[in-house]
Amino acid sequence: MTDLIKRLDRAFNPKTVAVVGDKRAMGYMWLNCMSTFGGKVYSVQVDPDEIPGIEAMGVPNYKSVLEIPGEIDYVLCAVPRPVAPRIIADCVRKKVGAVALFTSGFAETETEEGIATQEQITQLAREGDLLLIGPNCMGVYNRRRGVRHSPDQPAGDAGSVGFISQSGTHCINFSLVGAVQGVKCSKTVSFGNAVILDAPDYLDYLAEDAETEVIAMYIEGVKDGRRFLGSLRRAARRKPVVVWKGGLTRAGARAVYSHTASLATAPAVWDAAMRQAGAVQTDSLDETIDAVKALVYARPTTGARMGLIAMTGGQSVVITDSFEREGLEVPLLTAASYEKLSGFFNIIGGSYRNPLDAGGTIGMGFLPGNLQKLFDILEEDGNVDAVAMEVGASFIARRLRQNPALLDSMVDILAAHRERSAKPFIAICHPGHVEDVMADIRSRLVERGIAVFGGFEAGARALRRAIGYWRFRAGLD
Amino acid sequence: MSVAEIIDSAKSQGRTVLTEIESKEVLGEAGIPVAHAQLARTAKEAAQAAAGLGWPAVLKVVSPDVTHKSDVGGVRLGLGSAEEVETAFGEMVAAVKERQPDASIEGVAVQKMAPQGTEVIIGMSKDPQFGPVLMFGLGGILVEVLKDVAFRIVPLEPRDARQMVREIKGFPVLQGVRGQDPADLEALEKLILKLSEFIEAHPEIEELDLNPVFAYKDGCLAVDARIVVA
Repeated sequence: MTDLIKRLDRAFNPKTVAVVGDKRAMGYMWLNCMSTFGGKVYSVQVDPDEIPGIEAMGVPNYKSVLEIPGEIDYVLCAVPRPVAPRIIADCVRKKVGAVALFTSGFAETETEEGIATQEQITQLAREGDLLLIGPNCMGVYNRRRGVRHSPDQPAGDAGSVGFISQSGTHCINFSLVGAVQGVKCSKTVSFGNAVILDAPDYLDYLAEDAETEVIAMYIEGVKDGRRFLGSLRRAARRKPVVVWKGGLTRAGARAVYSHTASLATAPAVWDAAMRQAGAVQTDSLDETIDAVKALVYARPTTGARMGLIAMTGGQSVVITDSFEREGLEVPLLTAASYEKLSGFFNIIGGSYRNPLDAGGTIGMGFLPGNLQKLFDILEEDGNVDAVAMEVGASFIARRLRQNPALLDSMVDILAAHRERSAKPFIAICHPGHVEDVMADIRSRLVERGIAVFGGFEAGARALRRAIGYWRFRAGLD
Repeated sequence: MSVAEIIDSAKSQGRTVLTEIESKEVLGEAGIPVAHAQLARTAKEAAQAAAGLGWPAVLKVVSPDVTHKSDVGGVRLGLGSAEEVETAFGEMVAAVKERQPDASIEGVAVQKMAPQGTEVIIGMSKDPQFGPVLMFGLGGILVEVLKDVAFRIVPLEPRDARQMVREIKGFPVLQGVRGQDPADLEALEKLILKLSEFIEAHPEIEELDLNPVFAYKDGCLAVDARIVVA
């Protein structure tokens, strides 16, 4: 572990946190974020109107960072811009672990004063050897330790996915939307203007972090492409790294410039860099979460031959198109599999060549015996590397509403199959006309560690990306 | 002359663009297969050089001012004798002077005409964030119109060279279509990796073009080359 990584580890796993400049007008958002934090929280606020509200939350308040007793591992600073340099100077003297500067209005405003103040705090931090996150950022989220940057974020249990983001919104959304779909964050950071710490530093850290098994990131531009590529290369050789790049279109590049003043990279050059590094590329929040789900929950495989289970004829055709369009194969099964299938498969209104049009045979998922048989056959079939199953709800929603317990045995069989199978398994649950039933099915599957996707295309794309990564790691592509 | 000496000598003459002869010398030194070219300042010298290098001969104008040699009549192919070379020399100098009167002509590059292979191009340009980037594509119309090219950032690993050659849409052309010989992919990959090493070792190189490279059943050969230094 390098010295910087040790220092980042202290900031990402703080024992003591100070919030500077939280106020009522923000609903004491930052202190609320820290309400789940198990360590010691301090507040720094000089405004006499704000102090009673802070003390009412049971948080001790001080007039200066320097007055806080003992060491401080992480400081979240939300003061107005003109005050920022003084707080930074205090943090340098206090030798705090790191400061995340939520304060904005710096170089991104392209104003003389903003640029000058940014230079001032950069110089203070550099001369004082202070780890500065941001400015213009949301700082760190550590789910296990309950250090958050949104009061809606879950806390208390451990996660396995790290997220590094040039945007605060994407950082928060990844943790919130991901959480609903089973993506638990280990540590995330929104890094804003990156005057001291930049994307490669966080990548180096999360690559080293034992708790983080998959890294995802949202990036708009890099200052030093070669350094970024070096860190990305090293990280992707240890664990999957999913990179969602914003601003790859012409107008998007213009928007990126206004947002983080990052310069555009030609899409072809960016694509080359990502391929060389072995990063998984995505284009949206949904795709990023989907790719992460496939990497976390589906077993690693380098084979791309799918066994597909759909509920009806129409669905069995389009699920096949979706997977083949993504470059995955849908092969014929072995003679042994056909032999077994012919013994029980209902071919009136169904077929089993692969895809398996199986709704009739498995009672839309509610005939546990036949469902189990299908799984066992695909598990043993040497032509199949991975299995995707449509969990169709449109036709079963009414039955499920009347008898929610029906779902139990299907969920049990799917979960047991995923647990036992050596092949990756994913479920695809299309949006239906009864969203509450769908949402229930989805969350029940997610709880049992099954990756669920909102459509055939999304599932196929996510699995293709995961397979692409495992092939890269195996030196196959 | 060493690479550094050639670059220094060009710079001392106020040039950042190396001539074809200089470029090839530098690349040959680095172990990259190039069609060797020799400078001739007179028609006589050209004929002698051709006789030494072997027939048929190719003449190309050497001028720091000419970027697209064939556009100004500065390329003559398939010359089979000393007489033909001498005549072609005179005609070429006249043609270039007529079409680009301000061009200073140092002479002509004489080389043995390489047998036709599958044309590919390999180039390097610098990206402001990622530094030197290598480009690979099929020669001619495919690269110009369809932009069917693959990029990789220097330094490349063997995997990168392998993928690069295979990811262009025109890859089947390299595998051999309609009875054409397949191209020696390994040789192309080796050339790409050598070029990557060479570029890494010489950060002063700003731009580089091997256009065309002939890919054969066995081996490959850069027929024309152009290097721009900082």
